[in-house]
This record gives sequence, structure tokens and C-alpha cells, in this order.
Amino acid sequence: MRSMSRRSFLNTSVAVGSAAAISRIIPGAWVQSARAATLGFFESEFGMSDELCKKALDKALSKGGDFADIYFEHTISNWVSLEDGKVDRAYGSVDLGVGIRTVKGEQTGYGFTQELTEESILAAAATAATIADGAPTAAAKSFLRLETENYYPLETLFSDISLAAKLPLVKSVNEKCFSLSNLIIKVNATMHDQQKRIMIVTSDGSKAQDLIPRSYLSASVVAEKDGRQERAGWNFGGRQEFSYFNAAVIDRLAEEVVRRAVILFEAEQPPAGEMPVVLGPGVTGILLHEAIGHGMEADFNRKGISTYSTMIGKKVAEPFVNIIDEGITPRQLGSVNVDDEGVPGQATMLVENGILTSYLHDRISAKHYGVKPTGNGRRQSYQHYPIPRMRNTYMLAGKSTPEEVIKSVKKGIYVEDISNGQVKIGEGDFAFYVSQGKMIEEGALTRPVKDINIMGNGPKMLQNVTMVANDLKLHEGGTGACGKDGQSMPVSFGLPTCLVKSMTVGGVQKQGA
Amino acid sequence: MSKEMNLCEFVLETAKIAGADDCRVAFSKNRFVEVQYRQHKPETVKEAATLGVDIDIYVNGRYSSQSTADVRTEALQAFIANAVETTKLLEEDAYRSLPDPSYYRGRAAIDLQLFDAGYEKITPELRHSMAKELEAACLDAGGDKAISVTSQVYDEFQEEKILTTNGFAGETQSTVCFAFAEMTAQDEGDRRPNGYHYAVDRSLKKLPDCREIGKKAAARTMELMGGKKLPTETLPVIIENRVAANVLNGFVSAMSGNALQQKRSFLLDKKGAHVGSDLFTLIDDPHIIGGLGSRLYDGDGFATKKRTMIENGVLQEYFIDWYRSRKLGVQPTTGGTSNLILPPGKRSVQEIMRDLGRGILINGFIGGNSNSNTGDFSIGITGTLFENGELTQAVAEMNIADNHLEFWKKLADLANDSWTYSSWRMPSLVFMDVVVSGV
Repeated sequence: MRSMSRRSFLNTSVAVGSAAAISRIIPGAWVQSARAATLGFFESEFGMSDELCKKALDKALSKGGDFADIYFEHTISNWVSLEDGKVDRAYGSVDLGVGIRTVKGEQTGYGFTQELTEESILAAAATAATIADGAPTAAAKSFLRLETENYYPLETLFSDISLAAKLPLVKSVNEKCFSLSNLIIKVNATMHDQQKRIMIVTSDGSKAQDLIPRSYLSASVVAEKDGRQERAGWNFGGRQEFSYFNAAVIDRLAEEVVRRAVILFEAEQPPAGEMPVVLGPGVTGILLHEAIGHGMEADFNRKGISTYSTMIGKKVAEPFVNIIDEGITPRQLGSVNVDDEGVPGQATMLVENGILTSYLHDRISAKHYGVKPTGNGRRQSYQHYPIPRMRNTYMLAGKSTPEEVIKSVKKGIYVEDISNGQVKIGEGDFAFYVSQGKMIEEGALTRPVKDINIMGNGPKMLQNVTMVANDLKLHEGGTGACGKDGQSMPVSFGLPTCLVKSMTVGGVQKQGA
Repeated sequence: MSKEMNLCEFVLETAKIAGADDCRVAFSKNRFVEVQYRQHKPETVKEAATLGVDIDIYVNGRYSSQSTADVRTEALQAFIANAVETTKLLEEDAYRSLPDPSYYRGRAAIDLQLFDAGYEKITPELRHSMAKELEAACLDAGGDKAISVTSQVYDEFQEEKILTTNGFAGETQSTVCFAFAEMTAQDEGDRRPNGYHYAVDRSLKKLPDCREIGKKAAARTMELMGGKKLPTETLPVIIENRVAANVLNGFVSAMSGNALQQKRSFLLDKKGAHVGSDLFTLIDDPHIIGGLGSRLYDGDGFATKKRTMIENGVLQEYFIDWYRSRKLGVQPTTGGTSNLILPPGKRSVQEIMRDLGRGILINGFIGGNSNSNTGDFSIGITGTLFENGELTQAVAEMNIADNHLEFWKKLADLANDSWTYSSWRMPSLVFMDVVVSGV
């Protein structure tokens, strides 16, 4: 069932805890087929010919409609985890299916099947067709292959990497974490890899294919001091290859996670109330994901339900504020060679020199607004129709130094790590949860703080960005997942150090009390 | 024997032949239809059927789990053989095994009525007319304030068959029907509050009138109009029934065997201790007829029974599954919640508000999280300020923060309005002296 409310949310937490519930192992039958080349995979392995696609698209348009597409997917996912010193659990899954969509104006019909047979595909197409009720329209007679860039080439397929090669990685994370601090009492580590093959065939005559990797190495540790326990998690990954997970990455991972756990013994929940907030560089870009990203997804705007619905072309921030959503940074988790409706990966400015410039479009909203799609039509799997989604969302670097930004604050909060966030699209009110931070007192970083929800309002927050530093950093993670309408999408984010002059800090006592 | 049961038998046999010592197989089938309306037209229509096989392999003291949707005989054979070989590469886990079969025994002989035969008779016309009614009622009630209204009707049939090599067999058929409407309204400036209402039941016939749901969705949106941030203040709050589970979740997650064994729980060594006020009682009841969390066996296959987890503020039990019980060296209970009940009080929210005079009625949460190690939590709220017992001002962009071990001691009352459209049946909850931060 879809979520009860349309609010969108984001969670970057380490996936160790949840892996057991979702996951499974590589099945042999598909390992063979995964070795086939990127192009022509569904044709050669499953006999999905252009003739069959044409037939299915005609069926999808048999009651009329403006447009139809077919989305083929084959995904192999693996998790292998360590707990209490042993790599003693593995999970894997294989997903295979095809979804067919018929679009008429802003209406969508959708059917899907797990059986790649002509009969099942045509039945799914017939389901999609029910959204329309007019005379048939015809699909293109042939399909032109879409050439795209490759922002995440794979030298070795994950399906060619044995479980035995992954075991030492998680083992090393465990050893390294324990070696860094004698406060550590528990370590969980997980290696995840996924390779997704897709093929999109559209009724207007294009055919796109992609091979999309996703991988991460994550660690979560519990530290104990004077009978008190604290926990922290971290991960490295993205659309990375297996070779990325080398000794240096393992060392960095262990150092990050142990440092984050140990400092928490000195941290407290800060005083409550409105105060200036400085966001450190990197994962803190979740701020933008919630405060502006979701509100700029064009489905919310064509329906008039976003607070940004009437703001295109208007000044929303100081001239030094530039915000981008793009799918073209190599290896970033939100990068897409082609989106899930056949539009090539590209970059879209949301805010340029303080002016709100473009929404994030899928094909339906692009037609509504009379603009080109921006490559944001994404879907979780063949079981879902595409909707506008973010990719890698971040603010471009400014001119201040990070030191100048911190120094400008008399009393406030410095945010280092955000674990999750949420937004109410219509009001523009958003929240993000700070798992690590520091107090700023008289222009200097002082006591560590933790476990704070910070609230703001998107448009107000943008106006309140008063300083932007020159240290833009993109998150180098592989677990960032954004939820919307019951679909989870991998995304990334980034931020240079910046100052928001006022937000509501959800602390435990009154300021000054 | 059904075709699906034959398939399950086949998986167990194949796993044994491939070298597995033990195996658990779960076969699931699902069929759903979703119809969404906007501007008096179907906005989306989606329909499909899925199936899947989940297999747990136990070999040489090693364990792995895997899933596939390809149930062709040859494909399954190759899949299982590969799974067994891969499992052998892992390290040994002395605690991993299928459960002691004695826990399977004593399954309650009751019909939980999770399946409604009327499901088969739901027609496309009925779904569309319901979605239209939901939308029309919401638009009517929203009047000129309504910018956009979306309605949705969703129904689903699920079937599950489970077998293990040590004698467990389980079969469940269930249905769920869901009706939903949401409205976005024009507020001051660029604020466009979005409110919603829904109902969900095992049977379509038992859902309330769609017009009522639609109307209520509009009313819920209007409650959010004029939402403002107020000064930070310590005052009583009432957390409305339909969102109360959001706060309880941070507490319950610390009750799990996983959290305890991995030392990620503020409830470690708290069994028998006061963790809340006398009014804090929590019951896990898997046997509610038609309940959304009802079940005769749990995830381990254990026969389920009603359990008092917390009684008058004292922690009685944890949620401990078979595997964690072995690691912890304690008796298992059950691995997770079924229908979680906080027993309701006697008075309505209105009566309680009159009694309290001034406070905030919380009707929604945003963001937030809870630290399972320490119990610290912080979460954004929306709601309405009440003064002299009357609702006066919508609030937004505010926050509450506390520690679970302190917070539940502030539980001062429960209303008589248990929310039944969820497996966690919460009434509205009253907490005293809560810091609500804002300006």
C-alpha cells in the first residue's frame, strides 16, 4: 500500500539494520545471463524484439492516448553482513519484469508483469490502455537507439564477483573499527552491490538501454563509556565499481564511524528555539533536498500543490545562491545516463543567481508547461510509473571561507551530519534530523550536540541564506534513499558551508533557561 | 494439496538434495488494483499481480536468505543449488537454526477473518464510483479554498504459504481495501496546506461512506490553515490517535531482541522497571478479528498469543525472536508487533481539552528521529493551540524533544478514541509539561 500521506521523506541511515528484512542471494540461473553485454541484453537473453515492443505499444494505445512506453528491468542485488565478528549472513534477490504505461494528457494507465512472454506483456498493455477511451493511435514503426554518456562504466560486473571476494572487506572494517578505540563494543558492517539493467522503448520511436550499478560499504558501531552506549553509522559508495572498495576506503570508513560514535559521549541536546544555523559541507545538502528540491518537482507544481507553484522567474534568494539538480557527476548515487522514461541525463538549475529558474520535469509535466523534459522522470522499478524525482541536488560554491561563516555567528548551531529529513510540499515547512553537530559560541565551535530536529520553511530559509563558502562537497555515499508516493529512489546531495540566519532548533529547554 | 504447496515441497526437497541441512520456504502471491482521481477524471489506473519465493538456507551451521520470482522448475533448481553453494562460503553462526518446533504448536483455532470473499466481486465500476465520490465530497467541503483534490481507492489480495524442513506449515489469505482523499488549500501568501483522511479494512463493505471520508479530508486540511510558529513554551500536549504511533515507534524499536543484543537499546536491563506512568500499558494482541496486524503464527512460525508488554508503566516483556533469543540466552517471545494496543481511556479529546484549559493538540509530525541507545528524540509537529478548552490557533514549524524514559512518565491521560485503521491501535495521548519549541 502506498504511504498514507504524500509527504516526502529521506533517509540516509546505514542500512545494516534493515538489510535482513529485504534482501537475498545471487541465483545461478541469472549469473550467466548477466554476463551479456550492456546493449541488446533483453533482446538476446529474453527475445524481446522490436516487433514485440511495437505490438505491445500498439496495444497500449489501442484506446487512444498521447504516448506509451515499455520499461524492461532485470536487477540483481546482494548484501553480505558482519555481526559480532563474523561474516555470517548473506541476502540476495533477483527481480525481473516489464511495466507498460499509457499516457493521455495528465492521465496514466499502468500495468506490469514478471513474465517476459508476449501474452503477459500484451495483457499488461491492455491494462494500461484502459486509461483512454477513444480511437486507437499508432506507435512508431521502428525504434532509434538513444546514445548516451556513461557516468558509471563497469569494468567488472558485480555478478562476476564472488561472495568470497567481498568477505575480507567487511572483515577488515570490523578489525579496523576495533583497533581505533577501546570504547567500541559492537561493529556491524555490510557490503551491498546491485546491478540493474533497463531498456525503455517509447511509442515515439526511441529505445534506450542502461546498466546501472549501486554499491556501498557501511559500518555501524556502538561505543560504551561509563555504562552509557552511543551509536554512529557511516558509509561510502554510490554508483561505484567493486575496485573502489580498497584499503583506503576501509580505513576512511572506520575512522569516520568511530570518530562519530566516540564524540557523542560529550554531546547533548542543545537549547530549543530560533537561532542561526551553519551547515557544514557534504551530506548536509539534505537541507536543500527538503527545503527546495521536492517543492520543485513539477508534478506538485502543475497540480498547484507546491508552495513554489507561482514562483518561477522570481527572486527567492541572495544573488550568490545557486542550486542545481543533475544526473551527470560520475559515480554519484543520483546520476543517470538516461532517466526512466528515456530522456538523457542532464543538469538543471533550480536557482540561478537567486532567481528560481526551472522545475524538475518528467514528460507529463514538460508537456503541461510546454518545456523540454529535464531527465527527472524516475521510478523505483518496473512495478511503478515514473514521476519527477531528484538526482544529485546541491548548492554551488560561494566566495566566503568556512572560517568566515562560522566566525560570523555569535550563538548558534553548526550541523555536521544529518540522518533524515521530511517536507510538507504545500506549506514548504521542512525538518531535518541532526545526528552530529556543535554549538557555535562567539564565533567558535564549542560543545558537541546531537539528536536535534531542525525545522524551517523552504522559501523563508532560501531568503535567509546569508553566507556561502567556497568548500562545496558532494556526499560520497551509497545509501541515500528518497521516498515519494511509495517509491524509493537513490539520490545524492551536497553543500558548501553556509549560514542560514534563523531556523527552529528542536532542543530540550528554553534558550537561556 | 494446492499447486503452491507442491511448489513449496519441491523447494524443500531440492534444497536438501543440493546439500542444505534445513530450509524454510515462503511463497507469496499478490494482486492489487489502484485507482486515483483528480479533476473528475482517473489520474492513474494501475493493476498487476506478483509472486515471489523467499528461501532461507541452513547448511554447515551457515545461513543465507534469497528471493526470486522465477518459479520455473529448472530455474528454481539452479537458483537453489547456487544458493546452497554460496551459503557455504560464509562464516559459521552457532546461533542460527530453524526454531524449536515446540514453538509451532498450540496455534489458536480461530478464524481471524483476514480474507473477505466479497473481494472477488469488486468491479472496476465500483472502484471508479468510489474514487469519484471521495473526490466530489472533498471538493464540496473544500469549496473555494480547494486548489487540488486527489482521491484513491486501493484493494489487494495476498496469499502466503510457508513450509520448513522441521515441520512448520502455514497458509494465510488476506484482503485489504483502502479509501483515501487529500486536499491542498490556498492559505495566506504561498502556504498551501495539505490534509488527508483515509480508512482501511479487510472488507470493502466495512469501510465508512466515501462521502464521509472525502468530507473529513477537507476538514483535516482546513485545520491546518493559518499555521504559525508560536514562542517556545512548556505545556500539555495531546497527540492525536492517528499519529500517536510515530512517537511510540521510537520506544517500541528499543524493545526488540536485535536492539538489545546489539546493545542499541535504552531499555537494556529495564525489564521489571518503571518506564512510564501508571497509564502506560501496551498489549500485543494478534487475535483481533479482522485486525490489520492479526496473525496465527509469527515470522518464526511461533503460535501467537496475546501478551502484555508493558503493564501500568512496568516493562514486562521484550520482542525477542528465535535467533536473538539464542544469542541472548533467553526465552523467545515474538519477533515483532502484531496489533499493538494502548488501552483507551473514558473521555473524549474535547472533554480532556476542557479539563486542561490550555495546550497543543498535535495532529501531525514532520521529520524527527529517535536515538535507540539513549532514548533521546526530537520531532517536528503541526497542530492546534487550545485555550479555555477551545481550539484557537493552528501551529506549524514547531518541535518537541524529550527522552523516552522521561516522556512516557508524563503520560497523564488517554482519550476514548482508539484508531482502528492501523495495526497499532492508539487512542489520543495526553502528556504534561512538554517543551514545544518555536520562536
